[in-house]
Amino acid sequence: MNMKKSVISALILILCLVVTACGNSNGGNAGQSTAGSNGSGATDQATSEPKATEPVKNEKLIVYTNANSDGRGEWLIEKAKSAGFEIELVGAGGADLTNRLIAEKNNPIADVVFGLNNMLYENLKKEEVLIQYTPKWAGEVEAGLNDPEGYYHGLVKQAILIGYNPDTFTVETAPKDWTDLYKNEAFKGKYEAPTLLGQNTPRLIVAGILTRHLDPNGDLGVSEEGWNEIKQLYDNGVGAVEGEDFYANLASGKTPIGPVVSGTLGKKEEQYKVKAGIVSPEIGVPMIVEHAAIIKGTKKQETAERFVEWMGTAEVQGEFAAQFNAMPANTKAAEQANEAVKQLYSTLKAQALDWGLIANNIDQWVEKIELQIMQ
Amino acid sequence: MRTIRNQLASVNPIALIFYGLIVWFIVAFLIYPNVNIYYEIFFKDGKFSLDAAEKLLSSERAMRSLYNSFILAVSLVFTVNIIGVVLVLISEYFDIKGAKILRLGYFTTLIYSGVVLVSGYKFVYGENGFMTKLLAGLFPSFDPTWFHGYWAVLFVMTFACTSNHVLFLSNAIRKIDFQTVEAARNMGASTFYILWRVVLPVLKPTMFALTILIFLTGLAATSAPLILGGKEFQTITPMILTFSKSVSSRDLAALLALVLGLATLVLLTIMVRFERKGNFMSVSKVKSELVKQKINNKLGNIAAHILAYFLFLIYIIPVVLIIIFSFTDAHSISTATLDFSSFTLNNYLFVFSTMSAFKPYLVSIAYAAAASVAVVALTLVASRILHKFKNKWTLALEYALLIPWMLPSTLIAIGLIVTFNMPRLVIGNAVLVGTVWMLFLAYVIVHIPFTLRMVKASFFSLDSNLEDAAKNLGAKPFYTFMKVLLPIILPSTLAVLALNFNSILADYDLTVFLYHPLYQPLGIVIKNSTDAQALADTKAVTLVYSVVLMIMSGLTLYFVYGRKSRS
Repeated sequence: MNMKKSVISALILILCLVVTACGNSNGGNAGQSTAGSNGSGATDQATSEPKATEPVKNEKLIVYTNANSDGRGEWLIEKAKSAGFEIELVGAGGADLTNRLIAEKNNPIADVVFGLNNMLYENLKKEEVLIQYTPKWAGEVEAGLNDPEGYYHGLVKQAILIGYNPDTFTVETAPKDWTDLYKNEAFKGKYEAPTLLGQNTPRLIVAGILTRHLDPNGDLGVSEEGWNEIKQLYDNGVGAVEGEDFYANLASGKTPIGPVVSGTLGKKEEQYKVKAGIVSPEIGVPMIVEHAAIIKGTKKQETAERFVEWMGTAEVQGEFAAQFNAMPANTKAAEQANEAVKQLYSTLKAQALDWGLIANNIDQWVEKIELQIMQ
Repeated sequence: MRTIRNQLASVNPIALIFYGLIVWFIVAFLIYPNVNIYYEIFFKDGKFSLDAAEKLLSSERAMRSLYNSFILAVSLVFTVNIIGVVLVLISEYFDIKGAKILRLGYFTTLIYSGVVLVSGYKFVYGENGFMTKLLAGLFPSFDPTWFHGYWAVLFVMTFACTSNHVLFLSNAIRKIDFQTVEAARNMGASTFYILWRVVLPVLKPTMFALTILIFLTGLAATSAPLILGGKEFQTITPMILTFSKSVSSRDLAALLALVLGLATLVLLTIMVRFERKGNFMSVSKVKSELVKQKINNKLGNIAAHILAYFLFLIYIIPVVLIIIFSFTDAHSISTATLDFSSFTLNNYLFVFSTMSAFKPYLVSIAYAAAASVAVVALTLVASRILHKFKNKWTLALEYALLIPWMLPSTLIAIGLIVTFNMPRLVIGNAVLVGTVWMLFLAYVIVHIPFTLRMVKASFFSLDSNLEDAAKNLGAKPFYTFMKVLLPIILPSTLAVLALNFNSILADYDLTVFLYHPLYQPLGIVIKNSTDAQALADTKAVTLVYSVVLMIMSGLTLYFVYGRKSRS
């Protein structure tokens, strides 16, 4: 009985602690999450009000991102701190983060979001989650990467490439394009089909093929030929398996061809002791660009603007690229990227993709593939 | 109506407040947000549409996956119940040497699950697995890719889903009256006859409750079919998860979840009928403790021991391999090869250095503790009401509490956000989005159905004479509840508490939508550092976190449950 009591009292104690913690944060947060939009003004922190009127003082920002793993988040928090910004990162997968931002749009928690790709930003734009803001460094970003309407602007480039096992294929025998995979008998059953459509990379591969066959009269805006090609892509490939790392299958030769993301290449090489061959199709590669944008309805717009201004500068981006083996979208920062990265990107061409169109259609495309095309 | 009024009149004011709170909670957090999300999904442009049903019916893959899910659920009801009963008989009923160690092995499913559990089995039976290599060595023509499809999924899930059996059925078997067993034996009944006529009837109420849960687990199977099912055995839940994450396909996800939820409710209704038909309670009033039974038949005894240790190996090997492989690297893990040169502590250093602050652990523990206590408290009160009264209102109460079974957790989270991101009268015009309460509420909500099922089951195995006796002696209802009833149902209740606690610890699906920026829980940290885009040795880091979670879950079970059951 004593044991029971101590367990219960321990749990009650924890409960109390939680309740206390809740109380604190409620007050501290009320300023940004509820101010103005509801009647619970009593919890507004009195001290935060005068701060907002001083122009130079930076308020604490809530920043959503999907690019905070591997110490990138900690690095940014530290850097931002020395530049006078206090930020809290909310990290999550890109698609989850987008859904969260859309769900929260009537009462936003975030002030800034960075790291997502064009497709997701287009979704956010469509749902009116972002505001237009063009930072000074926007002109330094490689042409064609920024949102022409000025809602989001490029930070880091990532490319989705076809990788192959160099023992199984040579530069000559390797596929030349995604379409080769299902048109050439030699690759049948030897490549990974993009079956895990909950993730971003498979979605972008599918989009990269479907957008070559746009036809306003076709089903969901894609010609019959386009759907046939996608069907062949799935019929001739090997399904990806949840929990498996594709690179492991590439390295072992089990599925020697498949998608690889440029930013992770170096590390994967180290981990699996195989250097994948890389294919850069004539038409170009789906280039994922991580962007930065400001959330509509933020109560700290001025600080958010100053933060985005700071974050995208060639100086910060260059330092980031050197530290994390990334490829900056900012052309001035690109010089500071590591040699191997610069060399890789010198051979790559971005596939011209209409992101607005993709964002409008990708969900329906995926639905059709899940229901009618995949076996 | 009269009877209800009479009943209400006999209820004291404090109880009324409790009832009021429960009704408010159900309306505010179970009905309102979930009906709201259903409305948003199915009445998108102001009118109801049947597109979703048409789309699904015309998809061969969706229909086949749905069919497979039901096949799996029904198969699991049989296999898990059989294995579960065998485990409990071995560890609690028969006199088997080393039962304490065996029990530890059988308990391993309580500390890990999902993708990690399936990868553990893959280390043994997968393409490069140890068992596969052994078999391939014995039979040269053996196909190394043998372990996939329906049978592989069924095998892994059968052993993975016995957690509830080893907890709740063990509690139930201890309630067997030993004198009845002795009496039967003296009258010359065989071991099997006693098992069938004396032991099994006592286990039945718990088994009914567990059967619903197995069925539901089978329908909701995700990791095992995704990893082992291959093209030939796909199930529906992975599709639900994909669809629930894209705005335009949410109607499909909601409809599929509704189908699965309704199927579970149908089964539940049938089970409740069964429960009402027979009174399975032990008749003895003065119970004597069960003494472990020796198997007198020598051959039978040997067979039982072999079976016991064979099962032990099936359970323990995947766990041991996960722990060992957490000290290696991605290359070793993907090829399932062990080499002393690849042993390293770097993974552990990585995990604990990047988490210079242990805050995510504390946040998750606090949430898990608070939510699991709250959900148990809530369902205790609800069960008490369900136990005391039987009318259409309590029926409505019971089904309302099962609403979370009707929606995938992603949509429950989104329902909470879109409902409570503006002031709502039902919660006193507060805005919950952006507060730490959101996640707490969500954890409570999704754990209600399971908890209710188990707590209610233990309530209904109570001897009502005890309560009457307490009443006759002048005890107040609250006193009776605390001093007479609660101690009897406490073992099962604590077990539910521990299970809920563990499942909240590393949750991602729900957490990602609702967590507060200042309080990042563990599940998010794990996902971030093991994501496909992460640069670290994600395979190894995943295993390290699994081992950390195993330790945390193990400790929880030990503190909440293990020490108690030992004393």
